[in-house]
Amino acid sequence: MNVLECRDLTKIYGKVVAVKNVSLGIGKGQTKVIFGPSGSGKSTLLRCLGLLEKPTSGTIYFNGIDVYTTKQDLNKLRAKIGFVFQEPSLFRHLTALGNVVLGLKHVLGYSEDEARRKAMEALKLVKMEDWANYYPAQLSGGQQQRVGIARAIAMDPEIILFDEPTAALDVELKWEVISVMKDLADRGTTMLVATHELRFAKEVADEMIFMDQGEIIEIGTPEQFFRSPMTERARKFMAKLLG
Amino acid sequence: MTPIEQLIFLLKAVPVTLSISLLSFLLGLGLGIIFSFIRIYGTVFLKYIADGYEKVFRSVPVLAVMFLLYFGLGGYLPIFKDPYFTSVISLGLVSGANQSQIFRSAIGSVGRSQMLAATSLGLTQFKSLRYVILPQALILAVPGLGSEIALLIKDSSYSFIIGVIELMKHTDILRAATRSLVFPYIASALIYVALTFPLATYLDKWGSMKKRELGL
Repeated sequence: MNVLECRDLTKIYGKVVAVKNVSLGIGKGQTKVIFGPSGSGKSTLLRCLGLLEKPTSGTIYFNGIDVYTTKQDLNKLRAKIGFVFQEPSLFRHLTALGNVVLGLKHVLGYSEDEARRKAMEALKLVKMEDWANYYPAQLSGGQQQRVGIARAIAMDPEIILFDEPTAALDVELKWEVISVMKDLADRGTTMLVATHELRFAKEVADEMIFMDQGEIIEIGTPEQFFRSPMTERARKFMAKLLG
Repeated sequence: MTPIEQLIFLLKAVPVTLSISLLSFLLGLGLGIIFSFIRIYGTVFLKYIADGYEKVFRSVPVLAVMFLLYFGLGGYLPIFKDPYFTSVISLGLVSGANQSQIFRSAIGSVGRSQMLAATSLGLTQFKSLRYVILPQALILAVPGLGSEIALLIKDSSYSFIIGVIELMKHTDILRAATRSLVFPYIASALIYVALTFPLATYLDKWGSMKKRELGL
């Protein structure tokens, strides 16, 4: 059974169809990569899957349960779905540690001490334990993203969604974030990652999903995409990314 | 009366002026926070109420509110016959409308991505507002709140008209007693400056510094 799955998911804003009839599922321990031109609907799809946006139509299943028609407590489910954003999204009035502690305390009900201990463990995993008492404004973009990842993994989510976490970073900073994500994938974390980092996709993705104009155009293994994509659009886009 | 004695007489009224200002500021702070959050995150019906409150109390002069409560409502509810109480309530109601506007723009500057990040962790809307949005909005609002306190300290002088014995009243007593038109008014003007200017300037500086420090 898939941890997270959507069937015929469509999201329309006004007259713009951002995501059109998308169906996909992520099984336990899998890492899947979504890629495609900007405006292809990756972010919208991820936000729908993260229960941050309600789809216009279609169904979302979390562990096989239809989230919206069975009227689940969305906040409880959101706590089990980690989300790492593209833009800096750390709480700016809190330190790195405070950012990770917040959810543990006020969503999962940990005591202050337990929350701090667990938060420090998460910060260690992303190699940010020495920066625990720094505010986001004092950290580099890459460090902020690593804290953002720590904030997500500390909650022990069943799946983590990454929305182009390195897109806003300088080249030198990208790799420190990618390497943390690779560690997570190697440890068997269930992940759905929107990214253009093909090296990451090649090394860890079980499956790659190519999206364009709100639709899934092609699904395949990294080998297939790197050898010869079946569709012309995927071929062109791969060529562009690989320069 | 020597000028020093006159000055001391004026200063004796400062605690009342300050306590009226502080209490009405706190009332306005509570109202401002509640109404600004309602205007941004509330249901349509509540938004109308908050919008109406803001529009009315931003348009009506403090003195008119004071008279309305003191002479109007006071006839039915004896508590409004108390000038001190009525002054605090009137100033607080008007200040609440101003502070609601200050907070609305502060919440706007906090940005949507913070709310989205809070939601993604599974925080309820109330907890997101309480632990993520409000603390940042408070910091962003500090310079505006500084001007608001200064305004309240000045406007607290209206309460003299309905009978509160505060700084303006002492100034008036002094004028009558000394038959000097100049000294009492200049001295009390300087006291008002001393009460408002350093505080507002300090809060403005502190707010800007904190804002820079946290990258808000």
